[in-house]
Amino acid sequence: MNQADPTANQVETASPPAPSFPSKITSRTLRRWADHGARGVITLGGWATIFSIFGIFAYLFIEVAPLFYAASWSQGTSVHIDTSGEAPLENVSVGINEYREVGYVLRNGDISFYRFPSGTPIPLKSVPDFETGEITALARSPGKDHVYGLGTRIGRVMPLYVTFRVTFEDDVRKTEPVVTSGEPFEAAPTGEPVARLAYRETDSGPIAAVLTGSGRLFLTKMQESEAEGLFALETESELLQAEIIDEGVEALSVLLLDDLGETLLGGTKDGRLLYWDIQDIQSPRLMGMYSAGTSITALSYLIGDRSIVVGTEKGTVSVWMSVIDPDVGGDPRLEKIRDLASHNGAVSAVSPSLRDKGFLTADVSGGVALHHSTSDQTLIQIPGNGSAIVAAMFAPKTDGALVLDDSGRLITYHFENEHPESTFSSLFFPVLYEGYEEPLHIWQSTGGSDAFEPKFGLWPIMFGTLKGTIYAMLLATPLAVLGAIYTAMFMRPNIRAVVKPVVEIMAAFPTVVLGFLAGLWFAPLLEKIFPALVAMFLLIPLAVVLVCVGWQFLPSRLKGHSGNVTELAAFVVLLIGTVWVCLQLNHQVEFWLFDSDYKQWLQSTFGLAYDQRNALVIAFAMGMAVIPTIFSISEDSLSNVPPHLIAGSLALGATPWQTLTKLVIISASPGVFSALMIGLGRVVGETMIVLMATGNTPVMDMNLFNGFRTLSANIAVEMPEAPHGGTLYRLLFLAGLLLFVFTSIVNTLAEIVRQRLRARYSQF
Amino acid sequence: MRARIKKFLDSGTLFVWFCGTAVAASLLLVGGVLLLIMVNGLGFFWPHALVDLTLTDGTHVLGELKGEEVIPYSETPAFPEGKTRVRLKVGNRDLYGLDFRWVDTDQIVSAESPKDVAAFERREWGNFYGRIREVSRGGDVVASGNQEGWKALQPLIEQANDLHEEIEHLQRDVIGDINYDIEETRLKIRELELSGQHEPQEVAELQTATKQLETQYEKHVATLRKLSRQLDEYAVILVETNGREKQLAVGQIVKALRPNDMGFVEKILRYFMNFWSVLSEEPREANTEGGIFPAIFGTVMMVLIMSVAVVPFGVLAAFYLREYARQGLIVRVIRIAVNNLAGVPSIVFGVFGLGFFVYAVGGTLDTLFYPEALPTPTFGTGGILWASFTLALLTVPVVIVSTEEGLSAVPREYREGSLALGATKFESMLRVILPCALPGILTGLILAVARATGEVAPLMLTGVVKLAPALPLDHHFPFLHFERKFMHLGFHIFDVGFQSPNVEAAKPMVYVTTLILVMVVIVLNLSAVALRNYMQKKFKASAV
Repeated sequence: MNQADPTANQVETASPPAPSFPSKITSRTLRRWADHGARGVITLGGWATIFSIFGIFAYLFIEVAPLFYAASWSQGTSVHIDTSGEAPLENVSVGINEYREVGYVLRNGDISFYRFPSGTPIPLKSVPDFETGEITALARSPGKDHVYGLGTRIGRVMPLYVTFRVTFEDDVRKTEPVVTSGEPFEAAPTGEPVARLAYRETDSGPIAAVLTGSGRLFLTKMQESEAEGLFALETESELLQAEIIDEGVEALSVLLLDDLGETLLGGTKDGRLLYWDIQDIQSPRLMGMYSAGTSITALSYLIGDRSIVVGTEKGTVSVWMSVIDPDVGGDPRLEKIRDLASHNGAVSAVSPSLRDKGFLTADVSGGVALHHSTSDQTLIQIPGNGSAIVAAMFAPKTDGALVLDDSGRLITYHFENEHPESTFSSLFFPVLYEGYEEPLHIWQSTGGSDAFEPKFGLWPIMFGTLKGTIYAMLLATPLAVLGAIYTAMFMRPNIRAVVKPVVEIMAAFPTVVLGFLAGLWFAPLLEKIFPALVAMFLLIPLAVVLVCVGWQFLPSRLKGHSGNVTELAAFVVLLIGTVWVCLQLNHQVEFWLFDSDYKQWLQSTFGLAYDQRNALVIAFAMGMAVIPTIFSISEDSLSNVPPHLIAGSLALGATPWQTLTKLVIISASPGVFSALMIGLGRVVGETMIVLMATGNTPVMDMNLFNGFRTLSANIAVEMPEAPHGGTLYRLLFLAGLLLFVFTSIVNTLAEIVRQRLRARYSQF
Repeated sequence: MRARIKKFLDSGTLFVWFCGTAVAASLLLVGGVLLLIMVNGLGFFWPHALVDLTLTDGTHVLGELKGEEVIPYSETPAFPEGKTRVRLKVGNRDLYGLDFRWVDTDQIVSAESPKDVAAFERREWGNFYGRIREVSRGGDVVASGNQEGWKALQPLIEQANDLHEEIEHLQRDVIGDINYDIEETRLKIRELELSGQHEPQEVAELQTATKQLETQYEKHVATLRKLSRQLDEYAVILVETNGREKQLAVGQIVKALRPNDMGFVEKILRYFMNFWSVLSEEPREANTEGGIFPAIFGTVMMVLIMSVAVVPFGVLAAFYLREYARQGLIVRVIRIAVNNLAGVPSIVFGVFGLGFFVYAVGGTLDTLFYPEALPTPTFGTGGILWASFTLALLTVPVVIVSTEEGLSAVPREYREGSLALGATKFESMLRVILPCALPGILTGLILAVARATGEVAPLMLTGVVKLAPALPLDHHFPFLHFERKFMHLGFHIFDVGFQSPNVEAAKPMVYVTTLILVMVVIVLNLSAVALRNYMQKKFKASAV
């Protein structure tokens, strides 16, 4: 046939065929092409569709994977700063701006800026008028802004501010550094040089803690208050001062103030942590003394000022937390909550992240490490080259760092560190969060401020999913399976032809409708008629037994055949009647059983709180959503039991009941099982009902009378607020992936069981 | 006796009865839910009678009777046998604060239904129930007294409604168009600037055009102001049943009814008018009043786009699986995969749609084709196209399974006959098998549409909104705006029922939306069932 192609063309060019009499060969070729083409298109379309099914899984996986990527680092620019002519590098600090474009070195009151990544120095347009006097100590006030306190030889402290002015020229960002200084104040009344300094600007004014050369510790606050002046509000400042005289003060090596100016923390050379209450600045009080082992060389708060990073001479890095005993109250205690990877030498600098609970540590051998407190992991460890690092800053966007070592090398690092807070264990195991007594499973993804510690414990949400599923299946399974048995085995075919589609219509009910009815109609109703519902669970079985026994005495003329309309009507009337009686007895039942107030009774007897939107409501609503699924598939498998098997059983003298229990149910049980699996798959992922009819609180208990939050509802609630590509966004993808995997397993299982069953039936 | 009991238990009759009760319970659940929706949804359109209750303290309560219940025992320990109370919709939210009020039955002295009280549907604050004191124009009384005022008010309300329509037209069509043009010009200027090789002259021309449009805009806004002032020309003073007055502009009233004065036929007419206005009008008061037209329109549009996307792929996949692929392990695995896809929770599709369609595909489209609009996303945010595609993925298994069913129902002889007569495989597919399988494909499509109509969770992530500023279809080129956000009936239920500040007042609206949604879904499903039955019968007959 292949040789026909050129001939076909030749025929056509030689003599065009008459329109009424098309060339046989041409039309045949065309038809063949069309056939091939169609095969190609259909195969392609088929594969495209099938590919996209697997593509969904792959895509979800791709979006989730970065959560578990290890952080990585690379070294950027390295600049040599001029160290000639001066004593060893001390009292230095470095800083870098948000975009990692401009960095600086602050050293003994001199400041020099560098533009990165090129490393070229930036000339300062205006240098502030520094107060004369040699700088002997330097302290950075932690926070978003670059604020420093400089301690001088004559016991004074001068604030210094580094800001970055950002302008746009032709849509190109230009950053210019600006340095300003504040009003100096006397922090050591003795006039001695400042040896160690902690400086912090609080809302009510700057605070400085100063250890003098002779080992005396002074606390000074510039109390600012607004007073009505002659023309406008004037700020008045008042200097409050006190000396702290406690044992061990002279051995202090590091000082740290919190952002409210309420506590002072000191680390000593002999490895102790001293913790003072300085709310009343003029009478500081030692709250506690804790041992950290060896000499403390670095201290820093993490953002939010609840966790403290302690670095020691041996190179250990630990996180401490201030805890207030909820039972006892009183002073906060410090407790070591976790140890992170140690350095090879003494820790020389700690720089906290400004956006999460991560921090950077550096040591005297030049090593740099990146840790994250919540997820209890050390993300990056950069080996040192031997030169001690004297100053370091973690970049504001946690994507890099600037460090300075004692050989005068200023180095920038770049970090790939997108999701430091998620590790397998921080997602699935209890975590000790700030402000909690013990490790817990908590899901609380967003908080009010930057200092909020996101709590990404997935377990409460998985637990909620399980809780909803279990209760819904407990209600739906008996109703659906028993109903299917009756419909398949005992109902007349003509009634079955009506009943089955009616129940299946329920499957088409949009779940948003069920959710709305459950949340706004059933939940308030249930709150009123809960005692009646309890009565129904007790009375309906009783009524069935009684009526059934009574039915046996009815003349068969009235009853007709079993499984006919009369019998079905009897069931319906029986149910409606019992439900009506129970509703009438609502108050009486509450009186008899529940001490006249069921909520109080639940609370006092079982310690259960009753919420209006609770798991019981969900059980009914989700039960309704799956009853038709389970019913329909179970009914199919029951009624597909080969009829000659049943006929054989009956012919051998078995009663219908024996045939049912010994033959039908057993041989159809795989089908019922797969029906339950498919139902389970549907319940697990149901979103709208749960979203609308539970309180969506991620609590962890099996209480039937309170709400929960499921994986699916969690996605619906939080996805609209999750920034694209962030940890929360990817975690919600993880929730989706979990649902996908779970339902896939369950459905595959169901499908395999069904295919086997079908094969077995076809043998007969 | 004991033997009889044993025989009875052995016979299993008791168990059968439990099974039967389970069926009855399932049927009652379906029936009950349908009845609940019907009663509440259909009752919404009926002009309810207004009752005036006189209470023991001499005050009156006027409103629609909404039910009676026994007060929870815990609230009335003094009455162990229970006390009842009635619930009234009293309206007048601006005066009373709440739309609904409970009145204890033993507080009621007498109940009447006065013929002269009216229900005023207002544009703000919900209904007002009461009488008219006077109608005035700029301070001059036009008509005073309830009867006079009623007569004078009717034509004025009609006038005001016409004015509202005019204002609406001006705002939506005229000013809307100008805004649209201004935005288009702004984008064009930006595009020219971005291209980097523009003539300054071109930009200047566009800027002049913008200036012109802005002048036009000012002009129309002035007309709008004039019309709005006209709305306030007539004022009416209404009195509630206890004599408190409320003055408002006639333009605030949508319609006024005297339900106690209406005959049965009149009420029925009004019933259908109300029904129509809900279907055809725009929503008011954060969706809790007015109509649901944009939601219906959005749902239909989304389902249409979805159908266009889902049918070719579903049918191709089914033809491939059933007619072209070699039956074996791979096809079995694929079938299982398709079945699995049908079982994957809808929210997972939403997550996928958001990540893949909106951010990945949409974001790329934006950087390639709409850089002038950035950072405002065009396709890089939820929209009707992405929502439809997401639902197409969700419903593709339904179409595949249904089409396969349709294909398997086509008797083998048809295929063989066609091939034997010399048709190629494609020709016999196209001419013989496809027409036979058409009911199956249609069944699949209908089921897919039914599922998509009721699905909400994935839409919440991919482009549905509570109030869309514009429909996705209008007279601006290219007419169909795939990137626009849209409203949806199912989401409307969720939003109005759970996110509106006054849930109690919004409930009737939710029931109406629910009724419409459920009816649509059930009718679609029933027609799918009917089609399937037809198909089965047809081939049974022809196979014989």
